[in-house]
Amino acid sequence: MTKDRQQSVLNNAGSNDASGATPILSKRQSRRKFLLKASGVVAAGAFGAVPLRGWAADPVNIGALYPTTGSMAQIGVGCVAAAKLAVEMINEAGGIKSLGGAKLNLILSDVQSDTTVTRTETDRLITGNKLSAVHGCFASALTLIASEVCERAKVPIITGSSSDQLNKGRTYTFTPFARASQFAKAQLQMAKLVGDKPKVAVIFENTAFGTSTSNGLKELAPGEGVEIVMFEPYSAGFTDASPLINKVKASGANALFSVSYLNDLILIVRTVKQVGLDVAINGGSGGFVIPDFYKNVGKLAEGLQGVAHWNHDMSDDAQKVNAEYKKRTGDFLFEYAGGLVAQTFMIADALERAGSADPQKVREALSTLDVSSGYAAMAPGGKVKFGPDGKNIYGHPVGVQWQNSDLASVFPKEDARAPLLKT
Amino acid sequence: MLETVAQAVINGLLIGGIYALVSIGVTLIFGVVKIVNFAQGEFVMIGMYLSFYLATQFGIDPIVSLVVTMPVLFVVGVLIQHFLIRRVLGPNDMPQIFLTFALSLLLLNLALMLFTANYRTVHTSYSDEAFHLGGLYIPVAKLIAFAVAMMLSAALWVFLHTTDLGKAMRAASQNRDVATLMGINPNRVFCVALGIALALAGAAGSLLMPFYSAYPFVGQVFVLMAFVAVVLGTLGNVMGALIASLMMGVAESLGIQYVGADSGLLVVFAMLLLTLAFKPNGLGGGRAR
Repeated sequence: MTKDRQQSVLNNAGSNDASGATPILSKRQSRRKFLLKASGVVAAGAFGAVPLRGWAADPVNIGALYPTTGSMAQIGVGCVAAAKLAVEMINEAGGIKSLGGAKLNLILSDVQSDTTVTRTETDRLITGNKLSAVHGCFASALTLIASEVCERAKVPIITGSSSDQLNKGRTYTFTPFARASQFAKAQLQMAKLVGDKPKVAVIFENTAFGTSTSNGLKELAPGEGVEIVMFEPYSAGFTDASPLINKVKASGANALFSVSYLNDLILIVRTVKQVGLDVAINGGSGGFVIPDFYKNVGKLAEGLQGVAHWNHDMSDDAQKVNAEYKKRTGDFLFEYAGGLVAQTFMIADALERAGSADPQKVREALSTLDVSSGYAAMAPGGKVKFGPDGKNIYGHPVGVQWQNSDLASVFPKEDARAPLLKT
Repeated sequence: MLETVAQAVINGLLIGGIYALVSIGVTLIFGVVKIVNFAQGEFVMIGMYLSFYLATQFGIDPIVSLVVTMPVLFVVGVLIQHFLIRRVLGPNDMPQIFLTFALSLLLLNLALMLFTANYRTVHTSYSDEAFHLGGLYIPVAKLIAFAVAMMLSAALWVFLHTTDLGKAMRAASQNRDVATLMGINPNRVFCVALGIALALAGAAGSLLMPFYSAYPFVGQVFVLMAFVAVVLGTLGNVMGALIASLMMGVAESLGIQYVGADSGLLVVFAMLLLTLAFKPNGLGGGRAR
């Protein structure tokens, strides 16, 4: 059919001068030409950026896995804001120079606070994109799963999650900050600084985070000379903290370590006040070190201690990032979000030295990372270098205390920006 | 020792009062309309957010905001019965289950969208206060919540047993067809039942606000306890749900005290299984009232 028509068109065009046929022909031809030209223009427009971007080197894809919906959403959303800020900082400073000024391209994925979703989302993120590295996922339970998937896919993952399990039998997992077992030691030492003979009650939520942190406390307490008089897991998300605090009261403790996320901790602190129990509370990390804690508990938070793997006042660089984050979100840069800004700079440092976006080469470069200045070194102590188990060999937590509605670094001395107050 | 037990029982009774408000709503809807309302917890959540915004925007005390949340949720209940549930009442249970379950998911995600996942608390002058009696303490906010919950339950009981409409509701719950033959308009009765049940959920929300945080998932915490209480106290039995709720509160509290802090629910469910083994219809026996 088409052939026939084309032939007849040619014939007509060649031999026939009939005025009636010509306009139709030219119309046909012009429409075809028009379509050709137009599609060319459209295509050029659509892909016009390609050659330009090609000259400026391809962007490097970084995956970010955070729970932006579900029960942990409130922290996940803050993490995403910080991840975007970090990438902007690196890109504005000229991107990855050894890759021709390549820009970082952040690819976000919502792991929905759910372990099953974390597995499928991590898989989807890695198979669907050419990733150079991944960071995530806030909660240890989620990070453990994401880390397994990354190990199998041979893509490096860098995380602030504190579970010690992340350092066992893994080669693509990097943990630049303090481990759960180290948090315990810092908490015990702080307890000794504020009380002479600390008798500690440990209550912890029965999750990966709660169990690993509290086991560290139990193991280290005798060595630090701290007596543990109560050691109890509780089911996270309770309706009422009174029975638990009733139990703490019966134990005769003068210090309370609570390993909890935000909502449980709010109830615990309020109930302790209602009972009139005189205990020094150490809220650990998790829900304790985020701005929302103070917003919900108010003045009751003053003097409460905690530990964190990162704090916004611990170095000049941290304060600079904090100021920018505060301008954007209205809140101070909290532990996990601040840590992941540093992590993004560690990835950038590795990319710079690897001179390649290949995930295996980035892993090699991360394993030889050794920084003591700049944003990549924003960790307590100010130094990052990974051991064979992916642990930062200089990693340690920073002790914090709520003072005048702000979270101040108070322990150890080298990181302290304010004195540890006895309450 | 004795003091610790007494304190545990007090704590259990106080939180049991809140469980009661939620479970009475569920059992009322089941008894009268014969559907399970999976979205009951979400209406508690709506009550909490209403109270929260009334408190933060207009400075209304959460307990006082009861006079707003209860009527608002009553109207919502009537509308839901009239426009949604009425259309799926039939011989088949599935559409009803899907309807209330879908409603639950919808409200939950709407709340996530509108209010974000952040925890929100209201700080009242009495939020952190408590009465101290000897070695015992009774938190003021929870005592108020408990007292109001008991008053509302009593008012409901009086309504069901003395007014014509209340009697009509009980009649409809005993036998819908015969009740209709006696001239009772089932849709009107169902609308009121839904209205009352949701008003109670709203009340629970307002009463919780001085001492508990509002967040989109908050209803799920309470609705699980409510379902257990409803089964334990015999499906459709208002008095049974009330007593079962208080028992569960105490069992949970004692479980945390003497079995383990993560075993509160374990004790509650053990109690449920034991009860069902000996009294398959629940504590109220076979009778729904």
